[in-house]
Amino acid sequence: MPTRNIIEVSNLSKTYRKGSAGEVKAVDEVCLEVPEGQFLTILGPSGSGKTTLLNLIGGLDKPSGGKVILDGLELSKLSEGELVRVRREKVGFVFQAFNLIPTFSALENVEVALAPTDMSKNERFERSIELLESVGLGQRAHHLPVELSAGEQQRVAIVRAFANKPRILLLDEPTGNLDTKTGREILRICHEANKEQGQTVVAVTHAGYVRGYTNRLLFMRDGKLFSQIPQEEFEEPV
Amino acid sequence: MIPFTYAVKEIRRRKYRTAVNIAGFIIAISTLITLVMAARGWETCTKVPLNSIGTDIILFYTAPVKPAGTGCYIVNHLFSYPFNQTLLTEIEDVPDVECAVPILMHRLRAMVFTGIDPSETETNAVLPSSIIEGRYLTAHDGYVALVDNEYAQLNNLTLGSTVTYAADFEVVGIVEVSATNIMKSHIYVNLPIVQEVLPEKPVGLVNMGLIRTSSPGKVEKTATALEDEWPNSSTLTGSDLAETAFGVIQINEDTAWSISIALAVITILFTIKSQLSTVAERTKEIGILKAIGWSNSNVVNQIAIESVIQGIIGGLLGCALGYIFASYVLSTIGGEIGGALNFITIDPIILSIGFGISMVSGIVAGLFSSWRAARLVPVDALRTI
Repeated sequence: MPTRNIIEVSNLSKTYRKGSAGEVKAVDEVCLEVPEGQFLTILGPSGSGKTTLLNLIGGLDKPSGGKVILDGLELSKLSEGELVRVRREKVGFVFQAFNLIPTFSALENVEVALAPTDMSKNERFERSIELLESVGLGQRAHHLPVELSAGEQQRVAIVRAFANKPRILLLDEPTGNLDTKTGREILRICHEANKEQGQTVVAVTHAGYVRGYTNRLLFMRDGKLFSQIPQEEFEEPV
Repeated sequence: MIPFTYAVKEIRRRKYRTAVNIAGFIIAISTLITLVMAARGWETCTKVPLNSIGTDIILFYTAPVKPAGTGCYIVNHLFSYPFNQTLLTEIEDVPDVECAVPILMHRLRAMVFTGIDPSETETNAVLPSSIIEGRYLTAHDGYVALVDNEYAQLNNLTLGSTVTYAADFEVVGIVEVSATNIMKSHIYVNLPIVQEVLPEKPVGLVNMGLIRTSSPGKVEKTATALEDEWPNSSTLTGSDLAETAFGVIQINEDTAWSISIALAVITILFTIKSQLSTVAERTKEIGILKAIGWSNSNVVNQIAIESVIQGIIGGLLGCALGYIFASYVLSTIGGEIGGALNFITIDPIILSIGFGISMVSGIVAGLFSSWRAARLVPVDALRTI
């Protein structure tokens, strides 16, 4: 039985106006289908439009043209409230810069994702602790981000993305600020989520070693997607 | 409770900005309370002493009038010479004068003995409404008197007792006269009797006229007109009394409210500006929250809660400080009018209004700035450094 596509992108474009430089097409007529449960990685150099594509897929940005269908919902047709529900329930974001709230402890940074839900305070607390323990941060739950290493901060960001059990995990350069060893650890966590819980993962990165964790690779350059990966894009042996 | 926890953390993180915002609320609210209460005190100084006896102007002579009589002390340091009672009939013909009521007040050491015309029941040194026991005087009364309740208690006087001042009088009524009554005396007797029994025998003479005008707006004009018409006479109005109440901010309550409301508006604008700066500093955080599924209303609540907390703290401290300032200002009211206005207390309603304004300011500032925050597109917010 063929797996259904949880993400469908057709003719997606995003154009920015940049002063005298005129218009810049960050994403140019991209078409993409991602079957449920796939771990897709999009490689590409900086400025190729990877992050913009991810933001459009996750409903954080509005396209200039084309459409995104996420789990059967066409994002451009959703109201602001429905889009909020999509971001809360269907999608989990992990950013390169971790994007943790600096005044919150690791625990509170996870709880904050559960705050707009119907969960009670106790349920939020238990779920957050359970998630932090699952990535080995149970003892660090009450530490502020500044007291955590880069790898620990990214693990907090990942469990925050997992908090609402989203069906899609969007990773924007998840290893960009980490050394290779820590980066591999982060990818392993995402890989396990993909394998064990069937979450669909879309990662954009320029780290070649991601290849070992993914089951589909695409390449992006100048806003366009390609299925052929240039060998020079791999920074290190896989 | 995440929004509340978050708000408290943000307030603690931005101590300086929070302190400035709260200081704004404190200044606005404490000023409101102080100004309004001071204005109320001043207005009381202006109105109560005269209005409580139904008069607008007291007319008297500070220089001997022919035929000369012996001067008597009247209110505080004012010294009035007797003048012919018929003058008051002439005064009643002056435009805007409704009535001119004769008073002959005599003072012997601490005792004040006052002659009144009991047919005047709306404007007089003591009014029928002051009776707490017995009856008011009538025009036919002879050697009978009304006595002040305090004086009666001190001297064990009851109805039917005899009180002595130049002659013996039977007590027919006990009156409760407020300390704010500028005509407060120990004994009140029919005017012709007083003119008859005083050692100076001032028959046909009085030493004060209580003048009621047709409207409050005519008081100053009428007082000037009287002094012009009778050059040696002096007049005392509410404004003159208020000037003797030192240490009081001389504004009326409407002006105090206007100043206070203007201050509150400035505080709201200042807090909005400050909160907008806070929102600008936290743009990325707001982007993160929206990216992980916070709705616009979640963001609005979050920012508004912070602002409301500041409004509550500022309001409470403003009320406390306002209470202290207003207490001080009110304690200075009195001066030449003998601390008669010490009864003025700080109105809890004013405190509540002050606190309410602070709360509303916090809500308005919070809603405006949070509305701006909620409109941020997540991806744009995330791009900020």
